[in-house]
Amino acid sequence: MSAPRGWAGSYALAAVLTFVVAAGSFVGYRNDAFRARETGRARAAAAMVARGLPAPPEAVAADLVLPAEPSARYPFLRRRQLASGRALGGAGAPFTDKLLYDAAGRAEAGGAYAAMIPGSELVLAAQPIPAHPQPGAAAGRAESSGGVAVAVTRPPQGPEGFPFLVVFGLLAIGALVAAAGALVGGRARPLGLALGACGLAVPATLWRGPVPGVLILAIAGAVAWAEHRGHLARAGAELRRQRAAYTFLGPAALAMLILVAVPFVIGLVLGFYDHHHGEWTYVGLDNFAEILSGGGRSLDEPLNFWFTLGVTVLWTAVNLVLHVTLGVTLALLLRQKWLRGRTAFRMLLILPWAIPNYITGLIWHGMFDEQHGAIDSLLSLFGIDQVHWFSSWATSFTANVVTNTWLGFPFMMVVALGALESIPRELDEAAEVDGASAWQRFRHVTLPHLRPALAPAVVLGAIWTFNMFNVIYLVSDGRPNGSTDILVTEAYRWAFERGERYGLASAYAVLIFLVLLLWTVFGTRVLRRRE
Amino acid sequence: MKRLLLVLLAALAACRADDRRDTVVLWHSYGGDERAALEQIIADFNAGDSGIRIEPVAVAYDGFADKITSAIPNGNGPDLFIFAHDRLGDWRAAGLIEPIEYYVDDALADRFRFQALALLARDGSLYGMPMAEKWTALYYNTDLVAVPPRTTDELRAIAAELDRRSPGTFALAYQNMELYGHAPWLHAFGGSALDGAGEPDLDTPAAIAALEYTRALARDGLVPREAKPTKVATLFNEGKAAMAISGPWFRQDATQVPWALAPLPVVSETGRPLQPYYGAEGVIMSARARDKDRAFEVMRALTGDDAAELRALRAHQLVPNLAVWRLPAVAGDPTLAVFARQLEQTVPMPGNAAMRQVWAPYERVLQSVISQGANPGDTLSAAEREVKSYLEGAE
Repeated sequence: MSAPRGWAGSYALAAVLTFVVAAGSFVGYRNDAFRARETGRARAAAAMVARGLPAPPEAVAADLVLPAEPSARYPFLRRRQLASGRALGGAGAPFTDKLLYDAAGRAEAGGAYAAMIPGSELVLAAQPIPAHPQPGAAAGRAESSGGVAVAVTRPPQGPEGFPFLVVFGLLAIGALVAAAGALVGGRARPLGLALGACGLAVPATLWRGPVPGVLILAIAGAVAWAEHRGHLARAGAELRRQRAAYTFLGPAALAMLILVAVPFVIGLVLGFYDHHHGEWTYVGLDNFAEILSGGGRSLDEPLNFWFTLGVTVLWTAVNLVLHVTLGVTLALLLRQKWLRGRTAFRMLLILPWAIPNYITGLIWHGMFDEQHGAIDSLLSLFGIDQVHWFSSWATSFTANVVTNTWLGFPFMMVVALGALESIPRELDEAAEVDGASAWQRFRHVTLPHLRPALAPAVVLGAIWTFNMFNVIYLVSDGRPNGSTDILVTEAYRWAFERGERYGLASAYAVLIFLVLLLWTVFGTRVLRRRE
Repeated sequence: MKRLLLVLLAALAACRADDRRDTVVLWHSYGGDERAALEQIIADFNAGDSGIRIEPVAVAYDGFADKITSAIPNGNGPDLFIFAHDRLGDWRAAGLIEPIEYYVDDALADRFRFQALALLARDGSLYGMPMAEKWTALYYNTDLVAVPPRTTDELRAIAAELDRRSPGTFALAYQNMELYGHAPWLHAFGGSALDGAGEPDLDTPAAIAALEYTRALARDGLVPREAKPTKVATLFNEGKAAMAISGPWFRQDATQVPWALAPLPVVSETGRPLQPYYGAEGVIMSARARDKDRAFEVMRALTGDDAAELRALRAHQLVPNLAVWRLPAVAGDPTLAVFARQLEQTVPMPGNAAMRQVWAPYERVLQSVISQGANPGDTLSAAEREVKSYLEGAE
């Protein structure tokens, strides 16, 4: 059992948590009640206007707004006037005119409504009036031509105040119960804590229904259980002991939560929704089904998910092979003693890595240009005229790969250089004395030492390449026909170039995440097994 | 801890200050002369006695529309923003923008060109006050071309002569990889991107003819095969393209060579002139604008004749204010006079949801047909299917 003094701290923790839940449910209840009361008042005022009765005193404006009449020259300039004959708007018009005008339009389109007006203390209600069937009136115009009764009211009093007395009274009684339990000791101690902490469940249930009530009960139970098992005491002691560590970790943990965890969860949830004109509809797994079925496109069409996945995997594999081969080769060269100016070479070779990759992407895009491009100028020296780099899949893909290899090999080279430094030269020399050829020395001495350092670099490099948005978007831009797009640029296009299908794009992102997750779990395992 | 609290309080105070109702926040993506003119107008307005302060915020054009779409519903968007007419349909459907016909009477509307207002209107409501209009005409390098071509036959004659005099020079450069640049040709062959009901109608004989024609221009070396806007400017500036089709904004780019402006030529084969899109740019009010009456005062000031005159003369904008076109300084400007003539041969650029889905697929059609020699009919019908699938998907 934990120290007998611990009950106060545990109760304080439970009290704070339950207070937050209770306060939240009260604010929700208060806003709802206030909205219901005041929109009801506005509705009543609008109903009185509709019946031709005088509006109540809390109405700031209440009138019957007649149907809009378009201007003769401008069909999109519609004017409205009140039943009294006054036209809405114009110089010196009261500020409520705009409210009346907008409310009439909205009610004509969507029927009666009532709402709080954001940014003001006013409430508005509008109610369309069915037209009296008039003899000789044109058919079809009859439904809403009776105008709209609109009332703008100012609430006579604000929402209710926070019931401090009730809340703090319950918390004080709870403290007494918990203290009593602690005094008795034994099983009464957690029981008293649980009972004392769940006092706010009653008002919370009255305010916002069973959900906050159950939540408070759960908090009370959990705190009592944790206290009983000594978790809280241990956690408190640990926090105190490692105060400095947690203080330093806190900001980073918070940043990770806000910048990584929250967007991740939101993205995950969006994948189950469809977005149209700013409205979100829950569609379950439809987005995933559409993507995985290829959306009705055949396998050789670039917009088919499996086509893009194939391109992405090929893109990643080709790049990794080139990055590793080139990186390791250069690292081996830079290790040679006979090479002069090694430091300078090292600096130069790391340079592509130091330049922001979008700048590199733009530079290479320009170099692959068929009219001005440096590469075509170079090729023309060898009699090869005007390669249209982005006109066919193979050349376009090659252009992307060349750019990304330029960007990617320095990383592998740096990793390999570091690993090579750690290989004792004696091993190499011993193998040489034993008569091993250069290849045998590389194969059996150098390579086994490189592997542990290269394996994580390869896993990481694969993830970077798999999601290398900048190169694809800036160099080939998916040309021709989106066939060189990879999954991440495809997701971007669904979100921002093809009808703002954010839900579908999120589903793409989730699938990318799953592919990379599989790769990280199994890829590392495979690489490790080969060690 | 105390310091942290102070910082938090200061941040809160800053938020409150931002909530001042006499400040109207305006987002724009203007740069260069346009930005200088706009800032001048705003400085003059803020120095006046309206009791309103305009706070301009320059937002990069890339992603501007997406920022509007996401910022306004969250309550941290601008009160006003300047944008082209073509996204209004979506924003209106999403309830992001405020109809302003309440504030506009016939007398105010009479000051603007009708087409500009009409493009900023949707379903019987007006959603923006027109700031600028955009369409293209023919820029020609006066060192290379003495008399601008009136027909494409004359264009070919100029190209043949250029070939003799300075081989490797293109007769013409225009954005041939985008529908915006291709549209004049499409219209000259009697085609259009949407049918009469506003539905996508890409696979038409006229569209095929236009693609075949522009492909031949590239194949015969009259125009560069793949030209994006920056490339058009570079070629024209380096004297490697004798002519360029572009809009008023091109004046800022074409600084290296002497040039003059002419109306776009007639396609000799059809007898119809090239007709560029006519687009409008407006100042648009957010549905969440903090003080709409004040925000409209700012709209009125930004689109007023004085402000428009400054924008026209200093930033070379084409402005829809009719009075400005009658000013001697504007009417006497030879370049603006040509734009005024070209205006008669323009086609209003559709701005509905269907059109928004047409741009990207059409870009791929142009790539496939002009750069890769694909069959125009097949490519167009595939693109049409693609556009329709997007539209269905978005329903």
